[in-house]
Amino acid sequence: MNKSGSRGFLSKWLSVISNLFRAKSVEYTYVELRELENVFTLIILGSFIGLPSPPTNISLRLLPYMAREIVVSSSVSARLDDMLAEMAGLFEVS
Amino acid sequence: MSKELDFKVFFFIGKGGVGKTTCAATFALQVAKSKRTLIVSLDPAHNLGDVLGINLGREPARVTGNLHALEVDFEEMIIKHLKDLTEKIKDMYGYLRVLNLDKYVDVLRHSPGIEEYATLDKIVDILKYNVSKKGYDVIIFDTPPTGLTLRMMALPSISAIWVDKLMKLREAILDRRRIVERITGEKIKAVVGGRELEVPAERGRDPIYRELMKMRDEVSLVNSVIKNSEVTTVILVVNPEVLPIIEAKRAFDSLSKLGIKVKYLIVNKVMSLSSARVPEEFNLRLKQEEEALALIKKYFSNLRVIKVPFFIEEPKGVDKLDILNPYLTPLVNGALG
Repeated sequence: MNKSGSRGFLSKWLSVISNLFRAKSVEYTYVELRELENVFTLIILGSFIGLPSPPTNISLRLLPYMAREIVVSSSVSARLDDMLAEMAGLFEVS
Repeated sequence: MSKELDFKVFFFIGKGGVGKTTCAATFALQVAKSKRTLIVSLDPAHNLGDVLGINLGREPARVTGNLHALEVDFEEMIIKHLKDLTEKIKDMYGYLRVLNLDKYVDVLRHSPGIEEYATLDKIVDILKYNVSKKGYDVIIFDTPPTGLTLRMMALPSISAIWVDKLMKLREAILDRRRIVERITGEKIKAVVGGRELEVPAERGRDPIYRELMKMRDEVSLVNSVIKNSEVTTVILVVNPEVLPIIEAKRAFDSLSKLGIKVKYLIVNKVMSLSSARVPEEFNLRLKQEEEALALIKKYFSNLRVIKVPFFIEEPKGVDKLDILNPYLTPLVNGALG
């Protein structure tokens, strides 16, 4: 392999590593974001499942804008049984 | 004091039936001789109109030259409050218009705390209006019985804590969204009800954050008014009986904890009779009154106590309320300074 070929290989390799880290960091941030949105929904709508919740008026005023958060929370609750496996996968625990 | 808060607010608080409305109405009539005054009945069981001898509604009605009065219509307010909410839901989820959302409104009106919030909403409306239009120099609130009033007075402080925490959590969410957008170079999308929506990452574009900011401003306005002793004066009203005094003491302690200062105590319907001049049956009553007045000295030594005597004829109507004037003049002079 000549000099320019090895430079090209190195640059490709670095790009792969960089994309890998980028994908991993997005994955971590997405999980964190999803969990924060889930916690936000649980706090606002907690009274439905017996959690202490903010004064009714705060919940009612935010309710119309909570569509995405409710969708996220529903998907989290549907996969609660599998959450440990997901966390293990995320942190590469085998 | 903020320049825009150049008006005074008075809350008359006490147990049901002690004469809050009578004292508040007399006070309003006296104040209105020199100031543009609004008196508002927040009691769901209104009797301000009866005391003033005129019919009152939800819009301010002129009582005398400078005095306007209104009785808050709670049923109408709760319906309006929930109607606004339903309209917002309809705006956000237009495709759900086919469903009759109004039928859910009836359930929401029974939500715990809705009455306190409706009361607070009305106070916010009146204060906001007065800040922007500068319509009145003095606003007097004749409040519901103590329990509801205390819960209502506590709401701005409780709401401030909740709104603050929720804003911090929301900021953390929006920060993460911006990080994801920056790394991927794409906007985050979500599919809700079969429609693809762009998920906001900026604080100014997030409707939840905007609503929280709006709530924070409203709560700050109320707190800046009710906790500012230069603007707000709280007046406790009791009868010379042990139970209203004990309840007033509890109210005084709760308000102090919330950072709301009470300055005056009106003891209404004091018999002030010599035992030699009354039938023997009344002696026990007079003794109890003495005990109650001693209790007031013990509990409220740092408040200005104003005694209003018991009148054989019930003071009702603008003219008849004059009879209380000499007793409330110190309050008017002191409060308006």
